[in-house]
Amino acid sequence: MSNGTLNVIDGGLETTVQDYPGRPGKLAQGYFPSGAMDHFGLRAANLLVGNGLGDAALEVTLGAVKFALTRDATIAVTGAEAPLQVDGDEIAMWTTHRVPAGAEIAIGVAPGPGFRQYLAVGGTIDVPELFGSRSTYTMGALGGHEGRPVKAGDELPLGEDNDADAGRRLAESVRPSYARDWDIEAVRGPQATPDFLTEKGMQTLFGRWWPVDRNSNRTGIRLESHKFDWARTTGGVAGGHPSNILDNPYAVGSININGDLPVILATDGPTAGGFVVAATVAHGAFWKVGQLRPVGDRIQFREVTVDEAIEIDTELSELLTEASVETS
Amino acid sequence: MTQPTSPILDTLEPDGPRPRVVTRQAGDRSVLVEYGEVEFDLTLNFFALAAHAALAEAKPAGVIESAPGFRALLINYDPYATSPARLADALNEIHTGIDPSAGMRIPSRLIEMPIAFDDEQTRVAIERYINTVRDDAPNCEGGNNIDYIVRYNGLDDREQVYESLLATEHWTGFLGFFPGLPFTFPLDPREVLFAPKYNPTRTWTAEGALGIGGPCWAIYNVESAGGYQIIGRTVPIYDPQERNEVFRGGGMLLRASDRLHYRRVEEDELLHLFDEVHADRYRYPIEEGDFDVGEYLAWLPSVEDEARAHLERCEAAAAVAPLA
Repeated sequence: MSNGTLNVIDGGLETTVQDYPGRPGKLAQGYFPSGAMDHFGLRAANLLVGNGLGDAALEVTLGAVKFALTRDATIAVTGAEAPLQVDGDEIAMWTTHRVPAGAEIAIGVAPGPGFRQYLAVGGTIDVPELFGSRSTYTMGALGGHEGRPVKAGDELPLGEDNDADAGRRLAESVRPSYARDWDIEAVRGPQATPDFLTEKGMQTLFGRWWPVDRNSNRTGIRLESHKFDWARTTGGVAGGHPSNILDNPYAVGSININGDLPVILATDGPTAGGFVVAATVAHGAFWKVGQLRPVGDRIQFREVTVDEAIEIDTELSELLTEASVETS
Repeated sequence: MTQPTSPILDTLEPDGPRPRVVTRQAGDRSVLVEYGEVEFDLTLNFFALAAHAALAEAKPAGVIESAPGFRALLINYDPYATSPARLADALNEIHTGIDPSAGMRIPSRLIEMPIAFDDEQTRVAIERYINTVRDDAPNCEGGNNIDYIVRYNGLDDREQVYESLLATEHWTGFLGFFPGLPFTFPLDPREVLFAPKYNPTRTWTAEGALGIGGPCWAIYNVESAGGYQIIGRTVPIYDPQERNEVFRGGGMLLRASDRLHYRRVEEDELLHLFDEVHADRYRYPIEEGDFDVGEYLAWLPSVEDEARAHLERCEAAAAVAPLA
């Protein structure tokens, strides 16, 4: 029996089905996990509508999207602040709403700060699973809805209505604050001091503001070229530039130095390559990477230890419980 | 303020045929293990593949997955189910248990790949780079990367680049970058060429492009960004729509430890083969078989002198070539 669909009227810049943590376990075949770029935003939206925290929802880039449901449903939109309307009536983000079949759900353009929104529907977006996940892998043209961003005319299957209550709000104190200048926690390595970069080189990475380049997306966030102080003069057989290494696999969040250009590898990124990774974004801080706005936003990396990184992740996860939900 | 620490978690010194093993922290839920020194030595890759298989067998607590690189293994773990110290101990046990001198035979298919050199789509990618990313890159002088490879390796002309590629089988050391993308290495050390990567990287590369970075040849399996010097195009190796029978069951042609050998074709024929692949009429020439590591290692000394002379020629040329 059909549980109805979420129909796309306007898919905007890039709207994809994503879950969390995507599809780990396929790295050796060359799959990065995909999944929500802002894992806090996705989980918060799911928490509000009574789904499993990692369930599939829509990840919207910038806004300017319109949808309609073929059945009554509970929805919540989280992420970058933007006008949110149901049939022209302004409604609140970070809050659950019961929306009748046929009504138009519209998210306007996010003026910034922040770049992505998450639209969760009670009962989830029920596209087929691929290797255990419903996430769209944009570069591989896999998963999600037909392996691509959704567009006008698409009918996205829904799971069974869970009758989640309307008026559930994520407490203001729990909502993340977005900015144009971001502090992003990162752990040193794997290829840092003493053998790849000098401490001076590492302080270049950790010590300055890095602008976000326009060529940034779900595969990676490009920053800007800058001369680093290397602990070696050449990459040897891997290539003449000291940033060159014999190709190795990457972790999500790797801060990869391509020649002179740092790039943060994101959830749809390349799984392997031949450039030094000087530091790695803490998993608990990666949600901020998902809210970086190309052109205008700037990043400062703040060095943390592995233990501190895990503490950040633990504290973030602790916010994603019923204790953070207010009801009216 | 946090005191800077070294990302190196653990080092296992070399012991007989076992290379040095350096385990590095890679964020708060991964470690990267590096084998041996920074040198083009395929036995390091055989060791990495053996460690990858042994880890999958041993399944230490908290390990989610591992993936090999040329001389590396990345391990993703659940930080709530293990700790870096416990993981390093488990890895030590695995690494000391591998005997690289044993007569390994690795299942390995031999696959023929048609290639068209200096084709239009390859030139378009370079032209686009010159126009939109960087217009003074020495590796793109003349609108192609092949002349730069000639210069960087001290060769006489482009034909020598092509002959080198065609003269040897290429070992698939691992898959990565995108699903099913092979990182391959010439098995004949006399045919190894080198190239630095783009600086900065390209934003577009055509499907099927063949590129070189360091000593590694890779085939771009989807249109994508990229950093390798590109010289031509081969047939599709990846198709999630599975339009050819070879792609059924996951969309990938290649596996780690496959061997490739190239056959030169004209661009017209290559474009025709793309159509034939998608129409499910092309049949990829694939020979099942084994790769005998012991036999290979026994053969290497017979070409050692020539290989060393070749390597010295490449290094001398690279030393005076401009960086990419």
